[in-house]
Amino acid sequence: MTFTGTSDEVGRVASTFADFAEAHALPAPVRRSMLVALDEIVVNAVTHGATPGASGVRVTVEGSLEPDRLVVAVRDSGRPFDPFALASPDTTLSVEDRPIGGLGIYLVRQMMDEVQYSRRDNQNEVVLIKHLGTLDGARSPKESA
Amino acid sequence: MQVTTRTQGDVTIAAITGSLDSASSPVAQTALDAVVAGGARKLAVDFSGLDYVSSAGLRVLLGTAKQVKASGGALRMFGLNASVREVFEISGFATILPVFPGEGEALQGF
Repeated sequence: MTFTGTSDEVGRVASTFADFAEAHALPAPVRRSMLVALDEIVVNAVTHGATPGASGVRVTVEGSLEPDRLVVAVRDSGRPFDPFALASPDTTLSVEDRPIGGLGIYLVRQMMDEVQYSRRDNQNEVVLIKHLGTLDGARSPKESA
Repeated sequence: MQVTTRTQGDVTIAAITGSLDSASSPVAQTALDAVVAGGARKLAVDFSGLDYVSSAGLRVLLGTAKQVKASGGALRMFGLNASVREVFEISGFATILPVFPGEGEALQGF
């Protein structure tokens, strides 16, 4: 099962995925975690990938639902940029001292089970993977391959 | 996303419903700015109708908390679902902004 969305509008990616999640009755925690990750990654692609003076970055999102996991690939035509190369923020600083940069990618790392970045065919590709069985405990842990 | 406000005593309760992400956060920021500009000093944010929050939403809450604090007030939050709570805990916001289970607890002693 797959879905594909193409947009330079972040909100449209979210609604496309939300429709997919509803159609396949994804558990709410999985759906919500992926919506957070998608928001962070798509915003990141649009803000960091844009070439000054050029038109907007084209972002394509393609997802597939496998028996035990949800895999979503976000591809953009922007400049090479590995979001996971960023340093993690200091989350122990007080509310007054806290810079917000880097927090979104940190959330993605923590909320997904696996993340991948690659540069291929002049595109950035981020793959987000969320296991379906890690939340409800109904499935046994996946054996390491 | 929708922000609805009501008052109870001297506490202003702002309920954020829907999703608080990059698409909706500018609207939420404008709404909460207006609440603070309107004189709210004790602000309780009701998340019981909030589906999920991303870092863009956290930025709005951080900005609002700073504004309220700068004018001598305080911000409390309640009604977080498991996913919203997870984002607050991972980001560290749960330790710097007071989180309460429900409205009763949030308003007690506020």
